[in-house]
Amino acid sequence: MSSTTAPPRAEPPPPAAPRGPGRRPRAGRPDRSVLGLMLPALVPVVLFSVAPLVYGVYLAFTDARSGRNVDVAFVGPRNFADLLSDGDFWASFQIGLVWAVSVTVLQLAAGMGLALLLNQDLRLRWLARTLAMVPWAMPPVIVGLMWRLVYHPDAGILNATLRDIGLVSGDIDWLNDFSVALPAIIVVGVWTGMPQTTIVLLAGLQGVPRELREAAEVDGAGAWRRFRSVTLPQLRPVITTITSLNFVWNMNEFALVWVLTQGGPGGRTRLPMLYAYEEAFRYGFFGYAAAMGVAIVAVVLTVLAVYLRRQLKEMR
Amino acid sequence: MTGASRGGRGSAAGRRAGRTAGRALQYLALAGYLVFLGFPLVWLASTALKTSREMARLDPTWIPLEPTLANFAAAFGEQDLVGAAQRSLVVALASAVLVVLIALPAAYALARFRSRLNRVALGWVLVSQVFPFILIIIPVFMILRTMGLVNTLAGLVVVHVTFCLPFVLWMLQGYVRGVPPVLEEAAAVDGAGRWRTVVSVVAPLLAPGVVAALMFGFISSWNEFLFALILLKDPQVQTLPLALVRFTGPEGVVRLGPLAAASLLATIPSLVFFTFIQGRLKGGMVSGAVKG
Amino acid sequence: MRRRILPLTAAALTGALALSACGTGADDGPVTLRFLSLAWQTESVEANERLVAEWNEANPDIRVEYVQGSWDNVNDQLMTGFEAGDPPDVIHNDSPALAGFAARGYLADLTGMIPEELKEDIRPEAWETATFGDQIVGVPFLQESQVFIANRELLEEADVRIPTPEDPWTWDEFAEASEELTDDDTYAVAWPLGNPVNRVLNLSLSYGGTFFEVDGEGRATARMGEPERAVLERIHDQIHTDRTADPGTVGMSGSDPLPAFFAEEYAMVQVGVYARQQVEEQAPEDFDWVTIPTPVGDTAEQGAASQTLSVAADSAHPEEAAEFISFFLNAENQVDLALGDWLLPTSQQAAAAPELNTEEDDWNVATASAQNLVVAPYLRVQGFDEWKNRVAQPALEEYFSGEIDIDELSERLETEGNDVLSRYH
Repeated sequence: MSSTTAPPRAEPPPPAAPRGPGRRPRAGRPDRSVLGLMLPALVPVVLFSVAPLVYGVYLAFTDARSGRNVDVAFVGPRNFADLLSDGDFWASFQIGLVWAVSVTVLQLAAGMGLALLLNQDLRLRWLARTLAMVPWAMPPVIVGLMWRLVYHPDAGILNATLRDIGLVSGDIDWLNDFSVALPAIIVVGVWTGMPQTTIVLLAGLQGVPRELREAAEVDGAGAWRRFRSVTLPQLRPVITTITSLNFVWNMNEFALVWVLTQGGPGGRTRLPMLYAYEEAFRYGFFGYAAAMGVAIVAVVLTVLAVYLRRQLKEMR
Repeated sequence: MTGASRGGRGSAAGRRAGRTAGRALQYLALAGYLVFLGFPLVWLASTALKTSREMARLDPTWIPLEPTLANFAAAFGEQDLVGAAQRSLVVALASAVLVVLIALPAAYALARFRSRLNRVALGWVLVSQVFPFILIIIPVFMILRTMGLVNTLAGLVVVHVTFCLPFVLWMLQGYVRGVPPVLEEAAAVDGAGRWRTVVSVVAPLLAPGVVAALMFGFISSWNEFLFALILLKDPQVQTLPLALVRFTGPEGVVRLGPLAAASLLATIPSLVFFTFIQGRLKGGMVSGAVKG
Repeated sequence: MRRRILPLTAAALTGALALSACGTGADDGPVTLRFLSLAWQTESVEANERLVAEWNEANPDIRVEYVQGSWDNVNDQLMTGFEAGDPPDVIHNDSPALAGFAARGYLADLTGMIPEELKEDIRPEAWETATFGDQIVGVPFLQESQVFIANRELLEEADVRIPTPEDPWTWDEFAEASEELTDDDTYAVAWPLGNPVNRVLNLSLSYGGTFFEVDGEGRATARMGEPERAVLERIHDQIHTDRTADPGTVGMSGSDPLPAFFAEEYAMVQVGVYARQQVEEQAPEDFDWVTIPTPVGDTAEQGAASQTLSVAADSAHPEEAAEFISFFLNAENQVDLALGDWLLPTSQQAAAAPELNTEEDDWNVATASAQNLVVAPYLRVQGFDEWKNRVAQPALEEYFSGEIDIDELSERLETEGNDVLSRYH
């Protein structure tokens, strides 16, 4: 590290040295070389991510709004006080939670099913694997437009198919009906997010030692029992990670729903991120929008902390 | 596993019958998934091949009655789709490669050395996933402009690299952790230098992780819309997602045909990419992150 | 480490902000203007590109770069551009958006930069849609009027008189005709009310409904009197009392009801004039359609906004930009632009052009309707956009789908509406 000719690493370890400590990350005095290795990553993160973020958090405590030569004043926590009494915001927050929780749970359930299937020795598995990737390979903008074609009340294939098999008689206006709009976009959310979840779970499944399951089978455990008592516990860390990430990603969803409904009908699909976006980019209240962002982050991090803590406890 | 052997534990024949039934159920479920995943895409393709007159029919059919390529002609004729696709490809590849190059050493450092930085870095990874990009977009724009990067593909690459860096970092450090340090030490015993160790011993073992990270970087960049919209102003630099939304009129009226055609074309490259790479992935993708 | 990041951030930001404040000075040699166009129909994209090419040919010193934008996200794109001080020079948009941008000082005042000839040629009612305070912040060029497109055969079968621009229906006649046209298989009307606000407000002017009062200092309050309720109630009655309008189309927007219209499920569909293009393109070959003017109330007036070309206040070359706009929107070019988008020109000379007065595709009916267009009162309202999206849009959706009655609607438009508007006082 410091000397090029004789790097300390090159010294042979004492023959009697126990193997054990080698498995742990090395301590020593690594800070400088660590910094050297991390520098290329640090620079862009600080410049384009941390700095704007700090600025964004600062905005939340100001009355910043759009306009030329607008004076920005520091207003302390006033935006947050306003937020507490903003019924629309909380309504949208509620919608956001319903959306994020349903999509996350359904993604997990659907992804788990698919991952289990893909982990079997089935024919056509390659096709299923490729197709399972499709939603991920498409920009959210296209996904949104495509599902609008599917959901179109008259010319869409969904109503046509449902009519053909006699499930509905009239046309359902999926994206504009007050009660079906949210479930309809949740389906799209699940469709879009399934690939990542499936692949992560599949990776986890492949890490479950075969012997464990075989042992259980020999004991005469049924498939469901094997799944519950062997597979599931082994998958636990994987499930925890992917649900946390999915929850965060879903809470931050924007482009997909924007293209599908723009938050309509009557605000029934207005996720918090859409609300903050409108506030900033349509009406120009940057400060207030930033406060919304901060509030959302605070809640999400709290939810996450509680969830992760519980999971960790149960894992032990 | 889906209830495969619930039927018979009594006799071998009963068990085999149960197995067959289970298999059938499994195939049925798989077919269900395939339909759910595939049908919107088929519908997109079908729409792309229809005339606007046919699209305005009340009883839509899966197979176009009078298939036409007019939508593709319109899509190509009115937008520089080929150019836009090339630029998207360049940006996506550059972002993917760069992000891995930057993240790899950092991931190595995070996985191998215990330092205060670890917690900060991993905390940052999580926080960065939570923070809404909408709030930082204006300052990001200003910083890029100061650096003269607005309206350039390089600027877009920089942004894409920055925003998929945390996740890639997390993935890769998981993979690095999966490589036993013993191996490095063994190489070190043989007298190889630190870098040679890393390159000759660690790197090959990391290959699946690197492939997964490349893929993540590529797809994130290929799909990204908002920064591209705001950063790229001149037609000569615009990328594919931007070209796609151009068939929209006021009040959300869209020209469905050309839009469907263009969307379909935009999906093909990443599909090919996936088909190509999916064999190499094995469990791939995020498994690194998960292990970490 | 954490501690060290903060000052660095601050330094980076101050640097960024300071540098962004000072523009680049030197501009010898040819000037380049960025023109953000929102043309989206094949013919109008072609017309736009052709006109830009023509200009560049004739004016090598003022090069115009055609940038294709999209209605979908133009305002977000502009907002970022304005905030960062880097907007396009020439901006295509519509007057509702101009109001907000003008109030924030993003747009250059074009008063005195527009040649007299163009000024005279554009209808004064149209100029009003782009004039805020004493500033002209855009040159209006395309306007949309509301019409009905009807299935001629069904009207003739029911023995209903086909109204003309000279002899339009009154709202009462319209209601009667709708009764005649409704039977077991067919509704008389499809009202696509998915994005109802602007349209309903525009139509309400026929009974003098303005929805807002604006005081001397430009502060607006929402108001729901009899004139405001008239058209709203008539539409509502058609859907829920007379049952002559299909309740199923209430959530649809724009041209969504056309497929069912072609299948003769409705005799008429309410649309903007531009929808003639889709009808022409998508209707079955033997489908006989006719454009009919909007019914009249106390007057035949309807409110209108305009598509406009503006110059950014931050543009380094406002004079040149205005010159380009004046060329782009001269009478002759407006004919092409109107034909390309199937909309109405603001230029009076253009409106007299034979192409815009033929009976083909009912251009004569469309062009005649321009005479009744006056400036939509809501254009003067600070905060209208938020009032519309947050309050009016959901409230009207609930009203038309029958969930709330007119009194509750009025209550919400006023009380919730005024809460929103007070943010802008």
